[in-house]
Amino acid sequence: MKSKRSNSLMGMAFFGPALLLLTLFLFLPMLLTLIFSFTDYFALSPDLTHFVGLENFSKIFKDELFSSAFWNTVKFVLIIVPAQSLGALGLALLINKVTICKKYFKVAFFIPVVMSLAVVSNLWMQIYSPEGILNTMLSNIGINTQPFIHSADQALPSIAIMSVWQGVGYQMIIFLGGLQAINPALYEAAEMDHASGWQKFKDITLPELKPLCVFVFITITIGAFRMIVQPMVMTGGGPSHSTYTLVYDIYETGTVNWEIGLASAMAIVFTVFVVILTIIQTIMTKDKEGKHANKKTKNG
Amino acid sequence: MKKGISIGIISLLLSGMLSGCGQKNVNPGDVTGYDEGEAYISMWVHTIEDTPEGQAYKESVEQFNEKFNGTYFADLEFIPRNDSGGGYSDKINASVMSGDLPDVITVDGPNVAAYAANGIIQPLAELTDEERSVYLDSILEQGTYDDKLYALGAMESSVGLYYNKDILQEAGISVPDAEHPWTWSEFTEILEQLKPVMAEKSGYPLDMTFPVGEASIYYYAPFIWSNGGDLVSEDGLTVDSVFNSQENISAIKYFRSLVENEYMSKAPIEKLFESGRAAFKFDGAWEVNTIYESYPDIELGVAPYVVSDNWEGGRYTPTGSWAYAATSKAKNIEAATELVKWMSGTDSGVLLFENTKSMPSTYAAYDQITLFEDDENYKALYEQLRDYGHPRPKTPVYPQVSTSFQQALESVGLSGKDAQKELDKSVERINAKLERYTRK
Repeated sequence: MKSKRSNSLMGMAFFGPALLLLTLFLFLPMLLTLIFSFTDYFALSPDLTHFVGLENFSKIFKDELFSSAFWNTVKFVLIIVPAQSLGALGLALLINKVTICKKYFKVAFFIPVVMSLAVVSNLWMQIYSPEGILNTMLSNIGINTQPFIHSADQALPSIAIMSVWQGVGYQMIIFLGGLQAINPALYEAAEMDHASGWQKFKDITLPELKPLCVFVFITITIGAFRMIVQPMVMTGGGPSHSTYTLVYDIYETGTVNWEIGLASAMAIVFTVFVVILTIIQTIMTKDKEGKHANKKTKNG
Repeated sequence: MKKGISIGIISLLLSGMLSGCGQKNVNPGDVTGYDEGEAYISMWVHTIEDTPEGQAYKESVEQFNEKFNGTYFADLEFIPRNDSGGGYSDKINASVMSGDLPDVITVDGPNVAAYAANGIIQPLAELTDEERSVYLDSILEQGTYDDKLYALGAMESSVGLYYNKDILQEAGISVPDAEHPWTWSEFTEILEQLKPVMAEKSGYPLDMTFPVGEASIYYYAPFIWSNGGDLVSEDGLTVDSVFNSQENISAIKYFRSLVENEYMSKAPIEKLFESGRAAFKFDGAWEVNTIYESYPDIELGVAPYVVSDNWEGGRYTPTGSWAYAATSKAKNIEAATELVKWMSGTDSGVLLFENTKSMPSTYAAYDQITLFEDDENYKALYEQLRDYGHPRPKTPVYPQVSTSFQQALESVGLSGKDAQKELDKSVERINAKLERYTRK
């Protein structure tokens, strides 16, 4: 009995500091954000704060800028999620096959993940500039100078592509880990049955990687939703708000225009949306897994 | 034993965290130099210590403490900020809430109105006419809100219309004097004349962009002012039929014509002017030093800022920079004012110029710095600032006005959207932010 108590105390001692920090810097701010979202809290005059009920939320839904930020974010997600997950899978498969310089490729593709987003953004500004490396390459194959991040049509895809390049290494490593954990006996058995490469991929590799896919999908989606640094550094949300994202809007509202109350409400809307999306994603991927399992048992 | 350790660790962590917050209470002797009988003045500046700028502030404060030894003691704290001023203003915002503001802070010029309207800063103690007369008009104008003087500039700033002497000479273009700047139509003709010349150099007549951030309103609001327009009303609380006035629409359309006629590149090209591939460039006063130090091949000149055809000789050129103000927490306003006066004064201004080449706030400082007499470009920038300097709009919703202006420039200038529609949209957006001040 006594040792149990001291054990739990010891546990608390290890757990306590982390809990304390989490409470102070995560849970408390989250709670405050929720409370602030129902007030007109203004950073420069906190003494004049009133409860305004749902006013902030009705303001948000009427705000043209917020809705355009919302759609921009959705566009980012729609480009980044498929491109980055397929890219990561492709790279992982390639690296898995490569026998020489495997480490080199792994490191090379992973390096952008380690680099600061601000640095990567600045680098790509040079790449995308009218006299940058990309336009020089294009002019060599006879394509006119493209404005890239300086045009309202091309800015968003340009930034999305750069983001995929930056982030893909992380998911690649995860897939690579998954690939290496697949029991080679499965492939040997398939070979005995004269399975083609595609069949092996479809019936062994993909199903084995499925649990990882859920994780990869969700992390990429949430990451894409949180897009702010790249447009902030590269375009300032422009041209004509074409790369203005939700998190950018929250930042501008809260820190530049000092409207903490309104920004908190935006953050709440944003969080609820992402949570709902994540739940849907989880359910959808789980369902498939369930079906897959059923199929397996039937076949068995 | 183990229990003791764990509880010890937790309480240590807790106390460490709690002591991080809470008001600072400084007693004589706590800080070197702060002696019994001196009034303590705490001050924040928006930079880090290890920069030429930080060193200048540090030295100014040391001089202040020496001069007022026995009466006042100023305690300087450096608060880092990022390029857009983020870190520092976040710290101010947080301290407004927690009540931890020091006695004196630095404020970026355009934010004086918002800070004053929200009671973060208080009016300085009365300055005598003689004390006021040492400052440039633009400094006093920038620091005044609601007819009261709140802030005095640590430095001034200016934007030049720079030109490449060799290129203009080659094209046979002569530059007018400061009283007779080029008008828009004259400038258009010159750009048209330069276009083929610059095309040969695979460049453009103008090195110009509408960057996100403060630069756009800072560089290009003069086009509005010289056209008889304004961005906000006198009291800073109305924008309808001001921000979207006919004058402003024609000014914004002028920018569109610069883009449409390909006098400037739609997408920014790095170092166009510096590499001799542009005849003109709008840039801050710092550009002079950059050209002198890094591009000695460029023969640099400063032309008077371009004016609208309707210009009547009024003030219109860019000004404004960081200023010192006393917060509402300052109990001893006399002491705080004394420090503000010292930090914005001639000695501090000269020191800051020596370290950073930023333009001082007082006439006497310009007289002391020979560069403003000997170097024609510095001289031109100073005279432009002195005779034609116009502060940026004074309104508590300045950040929104600034972003709206940049967005209008970008949408109309670069993307060719309808000027009237874009400016009307801006008015709506600014009005939403103004609500807080107009309903009181």
